[in-house]
Amino acid sequence: MRDNVYLQLITVFVPISLLSLGGGQRIVTDINQQAVAIHGWVTQADFVDLFAISKAAPGPGTLLTTLIGWKASGWPGAVVASLALFVPSSVLTYGATLAWARHDQHAWHRTAARGLAPVATGLILASAFSVLRLSSATWMVWGLAAIALVVFVARPKMNPLTVLFAAGLLYAGLGVMF
Amino acid sequence: MQTGARRDATDVSLLQILLLFTGVGLRSFGGGLSAWIYREVVARRGWLKDSEFLGALTLGQILPGSNVVNLSIYVGYRTKGAIGGVVAVSSLLVPPMVMIVMVATVFHQLAQLVWLHRFLEGVAAAAIGMTASVGFRTARALLAEQRWPLLLIVAVFVAVGVMRLPLVPVAIVAGAVGLIIASRRG
Repeated sequence: MRDNVYLQLITVFVPISLLSLGGGQRIVTDINQQAVAIHGWVTQADFVDLFAISKAAPGPGTLLTTLIGWKASGWPGAVVASLALFVPSSVLTYGATLAWARHDQHAWHRTAARGLAPVATGLILASAFSVLRLSSATWMVWGLAAIALVVFVARPKMNPLTVLFAAGLLYAGLGVMF
Repeated sequence: MQTGARRDATDVSLLQILLLFTGVGLRSFGGGLSAWIYREVVARRGWLKDSEFLGALTLGQILPGSNVVNLSIYVGYRTKGAIGGVVAVSSLLVPPMVMIVMVATVFHQLAQLVWLHRFLEGVAAAAIGMTASVGFRTARALLAEQRWPLLLIVAVFVAVGVMRLPLVPVAIVAGAVGLIIASRRG
């Protein structure tokens, strides 16, 4: 039934695209169950590796889907799984963006943006905090995140890559010493 | 021309959108993509104002799909219409997709390297700091104008970050509260 794998990828990732609200851990749990237990595209050990790659590599963490598709059926699988995950939700978001932006001349539009802005700010801070809490973080990881925070606030013009790589080198260096 | 594209940002070209999102897609090691997009779109280029960026981010969180993908659609659309949205999302996703598969092919060799694990953990820790710094920066920008947002910022942070309540219902309730307060204050 090999020619069915694309259809399977579509039937798995389209519902995840449209129903997994709020992103993050919930999406990963859903993908894990589908890819390992239900369809057997990857083993649980593979899944753990792929998840680690998707977290460390640049790009959104949801590129985990690309990797699952690739494991299931090579490059065509990667493309089909990615399209199945990203297209449906993007079409929906595009529709919402059109509706939202159509009224940008009205005063209430600016009022609405002002009303929603504090929510996003709270969510940004919460996401940083949750990732730290999830990541079985040592005090050194917390410390590094805190130092990076201070640097980014104090030097907003600095190239972030410099800070990211310095933190990586520092943490790797500390690992050699301790 | 009744499009929703920003009239004052029409000098943004598709090439600029492509380069910006490709850059974000390929440099965002360890996560922190919304922080990268904030830095490039709001802080460095001023394509969007703080409050518009944050409003779009909230909508992107409430809607299904990855919030950074949703945010990219919004930024692309506001700067260059429908084609801008398509270019923004494709540039954000396609280059790292190719890269992540190539990383996966050599993962077992890389996985032996202990220092690389440590390096990537350090990068991820700094990316968390980068995300938090955007939270602080936008909080400062919002509180410079009005005081009431502080209450909502703290409430959302405690509900989602500390109490771990589900994000979407919290965002909808807090968003409704924000809309009510903002409309009363004018």
